[in-house]
This record gives sequence, C-alpha cells and structure tokens, in this order.
Amino acid sequence: MKKGLLTLLTISLLATILTGCSKDSIPKIGISQYGEHASLDNCREGFIQGLEKSGLVEGEDFVIDYQNAGFDDSINTQIAQTFASNNVDLMVGIATPSATALYAATEEKDIPVIFTAVTDPVEAKLDKGNVTGTSDKLPIDAQLELIRAMQPDAKTIGIAYTTSEPNSISAIAEYKEKAPNYGFTIEAIGITQQSEVTQAVDTLISKDVDAFSNLTDNNVVGVLPAILDKTNAASIPIYGSEIEQVKLGCVAAAGIDYIELGIRTGEMAAKVLTGKAKATDLPYETIKDYHIYTNTNALEKLNITLPESIKEDTVPVELD
Amino acid sequence: MNIIDLAVNTITQGLIYALLSYAVYITYKILDFPDLTVDGSFPLGAAITAVLLTNNVNPYLTLLVALAFGALAGLVTGFIHVRLNIRALLAGIITMTGLFSINLQIAGSNLIVDRTIDTIFTSGIFNVLFGNIPLIYRKLVITLIIALAFKLILDLYFKTKNGLLLRAVGDNDLVVTMLAKDKGTVKIIGLTIANALVALSGSIVCQEQRSFSSTMGTGQVVFGLATVIMGTTIFKRFGFVKGTTAVLVGSIVYKACIQVALTLGLPANLLKLVTSILFLVILVYGNYQQKTTKVVSKNARA
Amino acid sequence: MLELKNITKIYNPGLVTEMCLFDDFNLTIEDGQFVSIVGSNGSGKTSLLNIICGNIPIEQGEIIINGKNIVKMPEHKRHNSIGRVYQNSSMGSCPNLTILENLSLADHKGKTFGLSWALNKSRIDYYKEQLSSLGLGLEDKLHVKLGALSGGQRQAVSLIMSTLTPIDFLILDEHTAALDPKTAETIMILTDKIVREKKLTAMMVTHNLRYAAEYGDRILMMDKGNIILDRSGKEKESTSIDDLLNIFTKISIECGN
Repeated sequence: MKKGLLTLLTISLLATILTGCSKDSIPKIGISQYGEHASLDNCREGFIQGLEKSGLVEGEDFVIDYQNAGFDDSINTQIAQTFASNNVDLMVGIATPSATALYAATEEKDIPVIFTAVTDPVEAKLDKGNVTGTSDKLPIDAQLELIRAMQPDAKTIGIAYTTSEPNSISAIAEYKEKAPNYGFTIEAIGITQQSEVTQAVDTLISKDVDAFSNLTDNNVVGVLPAILDKTNAASIPIYGSEIEQVKLGCVAAAGIDYIELGIRTGEMAAKVLTGKAKATDLPYETIKDYHIYTNTNALEKLNITLPESIKEDTVPVELD
Repeated sequence: MNIIDLAVNTITQGLIYALLSYAVYITYKILDFPDLTVDGSFPLGAAITAVLLTNNVNPYLTLLVALAFGALAGLVTGFIHVRLNIRALLAGIITMTGLFSINLQIAGSNLIVDRTIDTIFTSGIFNVLFGNIPLIYRKLVITLIIALAFKLILDLYFKTKNGLLLRAVGDNDLVVTMLAKDKGTVKIIGLTIANALVALSGSIVCQEQRSFSSTMGTGQVVFGLATVIMGTTIFKRFGFVKGTTAVLVGSIVYKACIQVALTLGLPANLLKLVTSILFLVILVYGNYQQKTTKVVSKNARA
Repeated sequence: MLELKNITKIYNPGLVTEMCLFDDFNLTIEDGQFVSIVGSNGSGKTSLLNIICGNIPIEQGEIIINGKNIVKMPEHKRHNSIGRVYQNSSMGSCPNLTILENLSLADHKGKTFGLSWALNKSRIDYYKEQLSSLGLGLEDKLHVKLGALSGGQRQAVSLIMSTLTPIDFLILDEHTAALDPKTAETIMILTDKIVREKKLTAMMVTHNLRYAAEYGDRILMMDKGNIILDRSGKEKESTSIDDLLNIFTKISIECGN
C-alpha cells in the first residue's frame, strides 16, 4: 500500500516536470554573469531595459534565468553547461569568462550567444559563429584628452593593473601607445593580487606621477577607497574609467555608460530572439560614445577648476 | 528542463575533476601531505594545453606533455620539501606561487582555443569510435574512459612494491627508513604522480571548455580535499570499496551538489558557503559514524 | 664487529642549553654478542642506539662496522644491515596495512621496490610459519590491518619484520617496556630465539635488570654518557641481579634520583 502510494507520487512528480518542460513556450534567456560588480550589474539592468525598449515584455515574450558565477571558473563552466542542457533560447554572457564559457558550451548546439562587457571579442574568439554582442573597450583617447585638458602641465600618468587580467593588459598596451600623442609618459605597475595594490600606488606616488588613471581592473577598483586616501594625501588627482569610480571619489572619468551598453546589447538580443536577425550575421559592436563624468567635491578638494573646453560636455556626479 | 543532459554534463565534470581527486587522495590521504601545488599545477596543465592546441599540436600529445609538466611541478615541490627541508604546506605554496607567474608566461592571462581547433573530444581515436554520437554524450564516454583507466592504473600501482612503499611512507615513514629506503624519495615519487594527474585534469578541462584562465586553479585544492573527504566518508562503511572509487564518486557528488544549488537558483555568492556547510556536515557525520561503530564494536566485545 | 671510536655528541651546540653527552666515547662489540644496556634515564642509552642507526648526528668520532666507517652514511642506508625494534609498538609497522602487506614490505628489504606485484603468494606459507611460532594465532589474521592488533601482537610482528631478511645487527630499544608482563616475557623469549638462530649481534636497551642479566652475553651499565660497568663471560655469569641493582641504586642516589 505504502509502496503503491510512493510510486504514484513519483510518477505524478515526474509527469509534472516533463509536462512543465514541454509546455515551455515562452522563450527563455539564460544570463550568466561572471560575478557581482557594479558595472556588470549595470550591464544586466541595461540589457533588460534594451529588451523592453524593443517591445518585448518579461513574462510574456521572454523569461530570464539569471546565474552568477561569483568569479569562480569551474562554476562558470557549470552554469554555461546548465543553460546548454536546458536548451535555453538565448544565452547572454556578461564579462569575457562568462561569454567564452557559454560559447564553448554551445558547441554542436544551435543556441545563439550574446555577450557584453567583453573588451576584446577578437582575442576571445567571439568574433565569428553564432555569437555577437558589445565590447566595453575603454575610450582611452578620450581619457588622455581629458587629463591633458584638466592638467596642462602634467607629464606622467601612473596606472596600477593586474597582470592576470587580459582587459588590463590590452588597455595598458594601448595607453603606452597613445600617451605620447598627448605628451604623456605612462608609469605602469603590474600586480598579481589585491593586497599589492596599495604598495603599487605608494611606489607610483614616490615616482612623482602627476596623475593616476584607472582601468576597469577588478583588483584595483576593489580597493579604490584606500587608493584615494593615499592619492588625496599626496594631492594627486586620480581619474576613473567609468561612472561608479567617480562616485567613489575619482575626480573625473571619460567612460562608457554600462547601462547604455546593456541597452544596446538588449536591443541586439531582441532582434535575435524575435528572429529578425541571426547572431551569426550581426557583427559585434564597440560603443563609441562616451561621457565625461566629474566629481565636484573631489575637484574642489584638489583645487582643480574645470576648463571651459570640456565643462559643457560633463555629467557632474554627486558624491554619496 | 532536460534532466538527462544536465546529469550527463554534471557527471562529465565530475569525471574530469576525478583525476584531480585521485591526486589529492594520493597526497592527502596516502602521503599525509597537504599539497597546495595543485592550485598551480592544475592551471599549468591547462596553460600548456591551450598553447599547444592553438599551435596545432595533436591534442592527445598535449595530454602527455601536460602530464609531464605536472610531474615536474610535483617534483619541484617534493625537492623543496625533502631536500631543502621546507615544511609541506610552505613547499606547496612556494611552487604554487611560482607556477602562477609561469602560467602567465606560458599562456598569458587567458587563452581561448578556437572551435576550428581539434581537441581530444573532436579528433583521433575517440572521434573514430564515438564521432557519430552528440558531443555532450561523446564527452561523457571519453571522460569516463579516461577516469576509469586512471583509476585502474592507480589501483594496480598500489598493489606493486613501489605502490606499497608509497602507502607505507604515509602510514609510518619510520618503516620505510627501516626498509633501508629513503623516505624522501618515496614522497617525491608520490608528489610527482599526483601533480601529473592534476595537470592532466587541467589539460582535459581546457580541452573541454576550450579556454585557459590564469585564475582557474583557485580553490582546486579545497575541491580536491572536499571530494576525498566526501568520498571516503560515504564509503567508510564499505571496507571493500577502493579509495579511488570513493573519491571518483566524491567528485561527481560534489559537482552534483553545485548543480542542484544552481538549479534551485541559489545565488552564486552563497555557493561557497553551501559548499563549506556541506563539507562540515559530512565531516561531522563521519565523526558520528566512527563513534557509533566504536560503541558497537565495544558492545560486541563485551 | 661494531666499533665506536672517540665519539663526541653535543646536544644544542652553541646554545645556553648546550649539553655534552658523549666525550671521547669508545665501545667495541664482537659479532654474535647479545649486549644488554642498562642505566638511568638520560644516561645516553637510547642516544647510543640513535648514533649507531644514524638518526642523530655526532660531532666527532668514527662508527666502524666490519672495518668500514659509516659516519657519513645516511640513516636509511645503515638499515641495510640493521634491524630495529622500538619501545612504542606502533613505530615498527604500518597500522593501515595488513599483516601480509607489512611482512611483504619487510621481506623485500634492501631490494628495489619496482613495479612488480608486492604480494608474493609463494611466500605466504613462510610468513604463516613465522607467525605461528609466536603462538599468538596471527597466522590466521594475514588480512587484518596492523592497527587492529594489540600492542603485544604488533610488537611481535615488528620483531619478525625487522629480522625477516638477513641483517647483522638487531637494535632493541626498550622493546618490551610498554607490554604487560606476560606478553613482555613472550616477546623476550622470541627475541632470544631469533638472535640465537640467526646468529645476530644484538644491542638491547632495557630497564628490566632480570632480562638484562638473563639474556645478555654482556652487560653494560651507563651513566652520564659513560660506561660504568662492562661485564661479559665468567664475570657476567657471576653478576647477580642484586649486584646490578646495588650499583644502579648507588649511581641513582648520586644523581639525586
């Protein structure tokens, strides 16, 4: 008797699962984000806005399965394989490791992958195949131009970066290549872990750099408040690479808006999801627009006045 | 939801990482040596594999090269520990830290293996044999063959004179000295075998997910320890189950736990906490089990 | 023949705790001799054994076995001709290996541990024969792990392990001290039998004066790194346990024990 009941229960449970699966007619989007991070969160938020802007309604036109790997590579792989096993209709990778893991998991499967916050899609081998998205390459020219306008006498820019972050390495290379065009030299110090950041900053201060510039380097940005304590004490302005860093106290930044980046990605995804385009045919996009963000409080503290030439373009940021 | 595919993927992951579990079983359980080299030799295997694959080297050959370099890493840790008299933990940390830089030198911070490049899953003998079944099932079959083959090799090795000496050195190294054998050399052999397996695991992970990342080694020692303890605790009651079998199952169970957590929609930030709680529960359960069996045997004697 | 010549052993040299144990210590042991060594704690008995076996270094002197100075020979290599049984019964065997595995290891001492099978079935009868001579019923427990045996049983296996292959010297480091009187007696009789049968040179440190007198061909009494009594042959025959005890008490009183 008991056994019969148990069998019945199991069968009904299985039946619910199976019918639940087959009934699934609303397209499912699997979003894999490498970890919790303000910029990456903004990307995701923007992505959903982008879908909605394209006329899609969550719950009716799509459902989202959001997973976050917590910066763990093996979990990152498992998330990608889960999406592939579940045959989601579209995969979205936020940050390079997530995007590459998703793309690898779709080998021999026909699931389009859309990525965002990938600095170099060519290097990540995401430039061909059933995959497309947006790159968050830093507007380095704009940043150098900004520093030159704000500090006409500055000669050297100090940058601390993590040697194991591919985005940082390519950004440093570009900084070094372009700095002479604006009359700067770059003092870059590579670190391997977060605990070394403040030491690198001390070293740069002792080398009398005239300004600091940040990348989107997770280790460095993670201890930004500690860096600011040191640079403020030495009265050296520090420039961020996106709005979140300016909010934390950087004087200014020429950066892309990650929400906008997300929206653009969402719009691409909507095209793919509704069948208007195929990911294979859509080339990846690099955002060319950027904003100049300034932190009035930080500028005041360091007695920097905004030059008229850039004043009108800027987006002032309130310090929390 | 496709439960079968999900299970296949999970088991495949467990099988690939089982090689790492075997290694930790050798160092931690047999040699009683907490070897942290693993966090460096795992990405080392992947780094070498990524570079060789992108240079069109035969994927099967890369497995062997990774194996050899992993062995070298273990040899270095063994040498530092045995010949330079550095404590086990520190010797492992030194090699692991050095390997971080070496891995960056070998393959940079990230290296993607393009889809046009063949791996062991898409070429050679395995492809001839299983090429007509879908990729994820093919991956399961191939990893199953590799994991079982190495389990068998290790089981046989433990039955040889050399293998028995290895078991003896972890159990009571004084005995090895009394056998007129250098216990240090035996430990070095153990570390060499273990890290060769770790690098092999890294190599297969790299071929399977088509990427290398310099950070992919982080936490692998903990994973290895967790699977060894899980496996050996689960099978403690069954004396006839081999250690290698136990950790093989441990590895799959671990990956399955992560999979269940993901499927339940648990935030990834909590995953590590879940892992550590699971770890603790199993350890406590293991202790409890030991206590009860002791009481039982006492009663039986009385 | 074993010769110790001009041995100097200093513990913690250069530190405040520096302690000179042996200063120009000399000892010669003839082949086939069963030497009992007695003495109070700290008199240097175990240090003497450790110096011979090579697990503590010496500052000066020569250790000569069969005409060859072995001072620079590493510990493990010296064990090619030495077997040793410790006081702690768990020190001489591997607790997580079975009796059979332990004996197989010991049976292969001095040879290469290669990739051939560790267990040699044709030797099992020989092992059983050795074990049954103990009278402990261990011959039926070949597949039991050593850790599951009692201290006395383990010590018996350790003794067999250390003498399974041909050796010249048997070093016994208070090997009956941790056992109950009956088991100690059994182990002692077994030791004597093995030493005589295999014609080994044995050095036995013990606190049991009766064992020292009864089984030793020669008795050494040590105090503060010196041999204060050395009797063999007829001289030893005429030494009673009471004589030993008297001398022992005298040095103990001097030490303030």
